[in-house]
Amino acid sequence: METQERRWVGKNLKRREDPALLTGKAQYTDDVSLPGMLHAAVLRSPHAHARIRSIDTSKAKELPGVYAVLTGEEATGYVGPVPCFAAEPVEERAIAVDKVRYAGEAVVAVAADSRYIAEDALELVEVEWEPLPPVGDMERAMEPDAPLVHENLDSNVVYDHTFVFGDVEGDFASADRVIRRRLRWPRATAAPMETSGAVCRYDAARGRMDVWSNTNMLNFVAWVISGTLQMPPHMVDFHPMYTGGSFGSKHVLGKQIAIAGALSKATGRPVKYMEDRADNLMANDSQAPDRIYDAELAVSEEGEFLSLRLHTIDDYGAYFMFAITGNTNMMAQITGPYTIPSCETGIKAVLTNKNQQTVFRGAGSDVGNWVIERLVDAASDELGIDGAELRRKNFIQPEQFPYKIPTGNVYDSGNYEAVLDLALEHADLDRWREEQAKARAEGRYIGMGLATAQQRSTYFSTEFWFHNPAPATGLTTSPESVRIGVGPTGGITVTMFSPFWGNSPETVVSQLVAEEFGVDPEEVSVAYDSTMHALPSAGPGGSRMTVMLSGAVRGAATKVRRKMVEISAHLLEANPDDLELRDGRVWVKGQPDEARSLSIADIGMKAYWHKLELPEGMEGGLEGSFTYDHPYASMPSDDRTDLGAFYPIMGHACHIPVVEVDIETGQVKFLEYVAVHDVGTVMNPRSLQGQIRGGIAQGIGIALYEEVRYGEDGQNLTASLDDYLVPGAPDVPNVEVHHHETPSPFTEYGVKGGGEGGRMVAPPAVTRAVEDALSPFGIKIDEMPMTMEKISTWVRGARG
Amino acid sequence: MMQEDYLTVRLTVNGVAHRLGVEPRRLLVDALREDLGLTGTNVGCNQGVCGSCTVLVDGRSVRSCLMFAAQADGAEITTVEGLARDGEMHPLQAAFWEKGALQCGFCTPGFLMTGVELLRRNPEPGEGEIRDALAGNTCRCTGYEHIVEAVQQAARENSGEPIDTEGPPEVDIAAEVVRGEGS
Amino acid sequence: MKPPNFKYYAARSVEQALGLLAEHGDGARVIAGGQSLVQDMNARRVAPRVLIDVNSIGELDFVRPEDGTFVIGALTRTATVERDGDVTGRLPVLAEAAARVGHVAVRNRGTVGGNVAHADPAGNLAPVALALDAVLVARGPDGGRDIAVADFFVGPHRTSLDPTELLTEVRLPAPPPGAGSTFLEISRRGRGWGLAGVAAVVALGDDGTVSEARLALSGVGPTAVRARDAEAAVRGERASEETWRAAAEAAAAALEDPPSDIHASADFRRHLAGVLVRRALGVAAARAEGRS
Repeated sequence: METQERRWVGKNLKRREDPALLTGKAQYTDDVSLPGMLHAAVLRSPHAHARIRSIDTSKAKELPGVYAVLTGEEATGYVGPVPCFAAEPVEERAIAVDKVRYAGEAVVAVAADSRYIAEDALELVEVEWEPLPPVGDMERAMEPDAPLVHENLDSNVVYDHTFVFGDVEGDFASADRVIRRRLRWPRATAAPMETSGAVCRYDAARGRMDVWSNTNMLNFVAWVISGTLQMPPHMVDFHPMYTGGSFGSKHVLGKQIAIAGALSKATGRPVKYMEDRADNLMANDSQAPDRIYDAELAVSEEGEFLSLRLHTIDDYGAYFMFAITGNTNMMAQITGPYTIPSCETGIKAVLTNKNQQTVFRGAGSDVGNWVIERLVDAASDELGIDGAELRRKNFIQPEQFPYKIPTGNVYDSGNYEAVLDLALEHADLDRWREEQAKARAEGRYIGMGLATAQQRSTYFSTEFWFHNPAPATGLTTSPESVRIGVGPTGGITVTMFSPFWGNSPETVVSQLVAEEFGVDPEEVSVAYDSTMHALPSAGPGGSRMTVMLSGAVRGAATKVRRKMVEISAHLLEANPDDLELRDGRVWVKGQPDEARSLSIADIGMKAYWHKLELPEGMEGGLEGSFTYDHPYASMPSDDRTDLGAFYPIMGHACHIPVVEVDIETGQVKFLEYVAVHDVGTVMNPRSLQGQIRGGIAQGIGIALYEEVRYGEDGQNLTASLDDYLVPGAPDVPNVEVHHHETPSPFTEYGVKGGGEGGRMVAPPAVTRAVEDALSPFGIKIDEMPMTMEKISTWVRGARG
Repeated sequence: MMQEDYLTVRLTVNGVAHRLGVEPRRLLVDALREDLGLTGTNVGCNQGVCGSCTVLVDGRSVRSCLMFAAQADGAEITTVEGLARDGEMHPLQAAFWEKGALQCGFCTPGFLMTGVELLRRNPEPGEGEIRDALAGNTCRCTGYEHIVEAVQQAARENSGEPIDTEGPPEVDIAAEVVRGEGS
Repeated sequence: MKPPNFKYYAARSVEQALGLLAEHGDGARVIAGGQSLVQDMNARRVAPRVLIDVNSIGELDFVRPEDGTFVIGALTRTATVERDGDVTGRLPVLAEAAARVGHVAVRNRGTVGGNVAHADPAGNLAPVALALDAVLVARGPDGGRDIAVADFFVGPHRTSLDPTELLTEVRLPAPPPGAGSTFLEISRRGRGWGLAGVAAVVALGDDGTVSEARLALSGVGPTAVRARDAEAAVRGERASEETWRAAAEAAAAALEDPPSDIHASADFRRHLAGVLVRRALGVAAARAEGRS
């Protein structure tokens, strides 16, 4: 059966998620209310590092309205350690046992009639502490005499390995010049508008637990979380919830689920634990790469990039749940869009007394982009070659795809020159250079930035473990499933097994199903299902959903269409090869007579109620499900000199921001922002633009405002949104977004993921724009956020 | 031990009168969400910073996490649930939908209430005025631009100016999207 | 972050509020707009046993231009002051300062009296009060008294109000006709807490020299501060960039103890104070010239 011209893929459809969200009808986790439900609150450690000598909860337990008060020790009777995907023996408990390792770590959890009463009870808990010296500086933490965050380890350095890909030594030796920078990427945090939480209902009579939580990887790691809950996985049902943003912070939530779960077991009642914003900023486990880089780019005098050497120390905080995923991720695109033949990357992961990292939008590749673009900008300055031309000179060319980079990952397709040219066309840098010169004469400072960078999508699960030497191996699946059913009146339902977290899965699947069956997307019914009824699905993350849903829908739709054709062939007495599905009906090719066709409703009714009219031996009903997995992935080599293809669906973007810097106050204002993104076939342009603009806002955030700060004593100084500053409406410019499409050869419809790109490309572009504005003062920028005080101090320092 | 009394608070919410018995410390946001089941208003921080909890009290935008329910005695409150009428979205909600002004939707009710107040007070706001008025509402998903466009759209509609046709603004794909030679 | 318990009274009159304050002593706090107090209570930084809600005392919600003085009732919402026609027309420094307080929702509830009595070192209205030599009117169990603003702000979140007193009015003498004024603030983002702010009033003589200058700064000391050294540096001088620079240096040098936190060091606040004074004098002087 032939496919049709695309009717829905690529269209600007209004999102079907929106009406419920707009009218306040969507159910987020905190909206869940169950009969008899209790509310939890958590007492948090005031110390960054301390032993728990004793805890007296007796007064708290006596408070009217309090049902349970659990110390970490007591909680071990109900829940085990929280999930950890690292091989290193770093154990974490949802409620600390014996020792706390960061300011804000949970030490007691209370379940009460209301959150108000639960917090009253916390004030009655008495903890005797033995403070220990905290270690907050990662270089200090590496020293042999540093206080140990985990006493079962020999050192706070939990990972230390250098990967060498290609002839790095030889390539550096042949270089005319080595560009060197020491770079500092600051510690940020995801801070979505909705915090993390869970409602757990333990049913002892049935030996079952129900979980309503904004956790994301429901049908991928729920079984691991069940382990924490000390429940057989098939007796736990995780219900997919609408999520108010995640950006990588809600992948697992073993801790929040364990707290609610332990209290539910202890009380026999449903228990809701929702983080408040202080909980979230202190203890959500969603802090992000915090790195020092010694970075080197070997170049020829003509500006050819020859090799790359990066050594980093990354402060992972007190726990290590995703191992060094933030660093392995970066290896997907470490050489950027450039034909750099060799690279070396040394990674030291260090534990300190801070809340731990997760994978925040970009997952480490955002850092990689900033590092390599800083080097390229430095090369441009040192070699005296225009930044755009230097990049163009080193771009991988369209005919070189699929292109294997030194680490072993593959880039599926791209046309980086076309993206650059489109950006330059719209940015009109010549006009801005004139403006810049005029402004300088008036004592005003305008700067233009340009970054060309990768935005990988659709991870393969080897990236979680290939940093371990062979024979270590781990998961090799990264699935996504859908089920499509056609009912007796022809109504099509598509069921997903991963939740909504601010992306547009309902819109996307209805578009895809509409495309497959020739119906209107609004006629497609979309549902989610819980883990007890689900098929393997890893959920949003790594910009994978559009790619994975496209494959899953194609697979399920193919099965359903095949059965529809079989039924139709039987009923119409035609050859299946002579039939086509078009505009919601099955036709005999070349016969426009409707009487010789069947509607989807006709076929559905036959399948549902007319068994004897179906082909002999055919099961009744009309549905199909499909578990799609990564369309193009390969295993790492045993010696890890080739990591295999683990992130090959490769998008790309070019950003050109123009800023004006007030050199007295250090304030940065945007005059223009042009962004060209190439994420293959675009599914829904307006929706993609929203993600790009939102990502750019977050990129501006880390470039100018965002940083998690800890005091000398380990206190979290940014536990409020007044202190952890994210951009507001006056701070984000209008972004002129343009699309370029280089389809992927490996995915259905040629789509690539694009949800993270804005945040991945903005930081280096904005850094360069500010650096360009300050170039009359000879200022080179090696760090972010570029706060007002820093900019003002740099300028005053330069002026003497 | 506790000196507080339960108070009787009379509130009219989205046109419906209520009598609630609350502790003095019960925040308005919790009275709305839990006592009245109006969960459309969201708690983003409970620190009075993010604006997700914004509702209208006697027509003025207010951070409902910074007000005790007792203080709203006698007031007329509008929450997001009170914007649509007879199954039809408020023009601002419709404009948000058309312009793709939401992604996760968590901050959206707060923005809608702030936007409704802005347009009542200033029916033709300039872009700078819109951004300034919305500065007290934090969004982590959209980057604000589509929200500003939605407010502008609703303002145009209010003033009888011609508005965009149904659906988000058409992106001229043929002209803008340069399809690669593929592989 | 839910607040602790308290007993709640809604006062309908000043007398009633004062009676409740006297009765409940130290454990009682007045709640007006609540934009600062409820934040503190939610975080359990403060736990008053009694809250006396003064929002219903309508007699305290007014803006009255009286004969050269603006009298503002303590319960007047910041949003009202921001938009009041008399204020925007004749006292722009106050309207501009009010417009920069927090965000719309904060200004809708927050009151002038609450803002002033809360005495946040970075609050916007205190420097306006200082620059205009305001008089704060308080009422207590023993009657009313006038407090000169120079005696009002004592320390961070501390005023000379007695716990049994209620601030009822803020009286702001209007600048001489023809004077120009402005409030400028520098925040880390477009909107948000100011790192430093300045209220400036400048009157020019016919010869183009400064006949009167008032300057007060917020965010750069334990309280808002009057920048008298800077005022002295411009009085009698020609209105010029050079004069403003001299004032800026004097203002920055006079600061004793600028706060230091994660948003700005003491040194940077001192630097910003200078920048603000210079720019504000320029704006105020231009507005003064514009008028005459």
